[in-house]
Amino acid sequence: MISRIKEAVHLKHFRLKTKLIITYILLTVIPMAILGYITYYQNTKAIEEEVGEYVPRLLNQANKNIENEINELGNLPNLIYNSSDVMAILRTNPYDERSSLLEDQFTIESFLSRTYLGSNNDNILGAFLLSKNRSFISTRVSYEGFDFSDHTFPYGEAHDLGGDTKVLLPSQVNLSFEGNPPYMLLVKDIVDLDNRKNLGTLFLAVKLTFIEEILEDLDEEEKATMWLMDSQGQIIYHQDHTKIGSYFEEVHHYPLHNGSFRTNDEQDRTLISINQSEKQEWILVHSIPINYLTERTDVVKTAAMIIFVILVIITTFISISVAWSVTKPINILGKIMKDVESGNLDVKIPIHSKDEVGVLATSFQSMISRIRELIKKNYHIELRQKDAELYALQSQINPHFMYNTLETIGAAIEDGESELVVDMVAILGRMLRYSLSNKDRIVPISKEILHIEDYLTIQKFRFEERISFHIDQNKYEEDYLTPKFILQPIIENSIKYGMQKRKSLHIEIDVIHETDHSILFVIRDNGPGINAEKLKELNQLLDKNPIIKRDSGFGITNVHARIVMMYGSEYGITIESKIDEGTVVTIKIPQMIKTQEKMVIDHDRDKNNHRR
Amino acid sequence: MRFRIFPILFLLLIVSGYNTNFDSSKYEIIYNGEKNKKQEQPVQNNPNYTIAIVPKVTGIPYFNAVEEGAMEAGNDLDVEVFYSGSLIADWEQQEAIINGYIEQGVDLIAVSANDPEKLGQVLTKAKQQGIRVITWDSDTNEQYREMFINMVDPEVLGRHIMDTLSSRVNEQGSYAIITGASDAANLNEWIEWMKLHQKENYPSMKLVEIVESNDDPKQAYKAAKELLKKYSDLKGIIGSSSVGPPAASQAVRDVNKAGEMTIVGLSTPNLMREYIKNGSAQVVTLWSPKKLGYLTVSVAKEILDGQEIQDNQYISNIGNIRVKEDTVIMGQPIDFTKENIDQYDF
Repeated sequence: MISRIKEAVHLKHFRLKTKLIITYILLTVIPMAILGYITYYQNTKAIEEEVGEYVPRLLNQANKNIENEINELGNLPNLIYNSSDVMAILRTNPYDERSSLLEDQFTIESFLSRTYLGSNNDNILGAFLLSKNRSFISTRVSYEGFDFSDHTFPYGEAHDLGGDTKVLLPSQVNLSFEGNPPYMLLVKDIVDLDNRKNLGTLFLAVKLTFIEEILEDLDEEEKATMWLMDSQGQIIYHQDHTKIGSYFEEVHHYPLHNGSFRTNDEQDRTLISINQSEKQEWILVHSIPINYLTERTDVVKTAAMIIFVILVIITTFISISVAWSVTKPINILGKIMKDVESGNLDVKIPIHSKDEVGVLATSFQSMISRIRELIKKNYHIELRQKDAELYALQSQINPHFMYNTLETIGAAIEDGESELVVDMVAILGRMLRYSLSNKDRIVPISKEILHIEDYLTIQKFRFEERISFHIDQNKYEEDYLTPKFILQPIIENSIKYGMQKRKSLHIEIDVIHETDHSILFVIRDNGPGINAEKLKELNQLLDKNPIIKRDSGFGITNVHARIVMMYGSEYGITIESKIDEGTVVTIKIPQMIKTQEKMVIDHDRDKNNHRR
Repeated sequence: MRFRIFPILFLLLIVSGYNTNFDSSKYEIIYNGEKNKKQEQPVQNNPNYTIAIVPKVTGIPYFNAVEEGAMEAGNDLDVEVFYSGSLIADWEQQEAIINGYIEQGVDLIAVSANDPEKLGQVLTKAKQQGIRVITWDSDTNEQYREMFINMVDPEVLGRHIMDTLSSRVNEQGSYAIITGASDAANLNEWIEWMKLHQKENYPSMKLVEIVESNDDPKQAYKAAKELLKKYSDLKGIIGSSSVGPPAASQAVRDVNKAGEMTIVGLSTPNLMREYIKNGSAQVVTLWSPKKLGYLTVSVAKEILDGQEIQDNQYISNIGNIRVKEDTVIMGQPIDFTKENIDQYDF
């Protein structure tokens, strides 16, 4: 049991397949084993009980038969009373003449021979009549022992047997017959019933064949051992004749004298049935090994065991295959997961079942594809960001811009406007520093505004009256954040197209804080505008997935794509334009507040406000 | 890991094939047949039964022999036997003795009744006190007792005695009967059978007189003498009670008619040995009164044990007995003649 508990403890470390196999086998084998065992045990018990109840009845009958036989035999000595001659001789006192003694001896011995030996009852081996120092003997076969001359003989003449027939066994008397047949000695006092005097004792030696016959009738299969003994355990008759007369001591340990019981000796389990006769208290024992009784059940048992083993093998195979079919997809899934773990996202899961494992596989599959998508998206955002930065940088260090600027500076030096030159160089320097500070992608709005102001100022130096601008911003712009380089591409566009058509271009930039925590940059110009067709095309371009359209060469789409990727599609650029009237570009970004070192998206602002 | 399954499987196989037995005792009882047996056998052999035997009369050899047999049986069967009777055959004295036994509280009273009717009252009284009542030798009316132990079948005896007489007188001539008390039921019944048998078979014989002796030897002798004087052609005398034949024999001898007169009847060998041997009486018939005493006690014990007496039942030291309704018959009568009378000592 302890080892089994240990096994059970170890069970949790087993593989699922092993557990399943063990569970299946236990679920089938244990009930089968228990059922089989109970059936066999009950069956055996039923047989035992049946036999145990049946045999004592037979024994009782046999014992009664034996007792009847003994009773009948016990009546044999009474035949003497029928002969008045014999009675007269027995009543006579010791003789004076030898001849009359011998004559009487002849009379009585011939009577005994006639009565007891001559009749058809050939069970009687001999009759011995002892009377008043006389012995009358008549036997069927020659005998030895039984010497009446000495006085060791247990029953003398005047012994009072109380009128009943007593039974003596050969071991109690020194008498044996030719051929050593088993016999018993019936002893009866011959009483002169009329004079109430003891006349002598009659011994009848009776062969035990009648017991043998009765017992043989009982035991047709000859597998049982049977014997008859008196209440002291002395064996009167035993199938093994050598045991007759010996004592069977175990009878004193027997739990009962009428019924059946089983010895619990493991090697030699026997069913002992026993019956004690009422009058003589003779005990008839029937002892049969239980093996013989359960012989037929044992065949069934063997067959059942074979079937059991076959079933165990079959169920083992079934359980192994079932466990295998359950664990195989799981194993496959596990392998694929490991594959994914090592970086291969391009996997196909070959599981199409509808069960839990199938659902799991499908979920995993969709998770993998989502991950793949996200990775792709992130990659594009990153790429666009870099594009935007590169673009901004390119604009910044555009050789054309630089050339134009330096030319403007050169012209200013020629004109001797040294103050203007100083300003321009300072602005240009600031712009370059802003552009080159690559660390920050997100900057305070004020800085972005300053940058665009610088840009417009430089352009104004160049184009002088042809360009004018106005920037409307409030004082808090220091605290709010924006992505870098979102304004410059718009302004560049405005200048590019505005310079082509008109002589004077006015640009207005407004920063508006919306109530829905967003910030709008509104860039208005009075440039040539965009025709409706082109505007539609442009807006369609903006509405489309910005990632796919990464190759768009427009700076506007670059900015739009960056914002959408960073903050979602509700943010971004909208363009309104009327031909010959101007264009309004609105950039919508979420409101972000600069907090100490961190930049917090406006959605969290309330919370942060509470903290403060 | 997988190999750990096998110990479990192995264990299961062992368990399934192995008939475990945890009983520590050496024997396990499967069927107990003893309870039934015990119930079938009620506890008997209740010792210390007291049985009172009341004879017709004491002091005569016949009843002395009965006493011997009764005492022997009491000894053999381990019961206490009281035996007492009056000196004369008188129902009133018997009644007094029975009353004594009732007071003493015996278990059973066995009476040889001197009057079949008059003892009824006291026997009914005994019965009411829970005392079992049987009769032996001489019966009462049957409502007063459970059972009557008869020595012989009255018909067999009566006819047989008639035969013993008629065969010796050549079936002719007159004869007389000396009986005991005229109201003794058994004697009267025997006499009835004798008379019937003689009428049927021996028409040339003639019964001249029946005289009473009251079981008194002297009275019997006187009666025999008177008969001899009165009927000169008398061929034989039947003594139907044990005092009759010896008295008749003595009387025949005294008048020197020994051998001429045939004396038969019921008497004991001891009383008759001398007369039979010297030829003054020819044959007497009787049973063993010892055996009767023994049987009475044996039957009494059987009754007290609650056993029913069966026909042809073997009674230890008695032999097989016959039972007719509520009458037990001990056996056949014995004839005592010159040849065998020495074998008997009662």
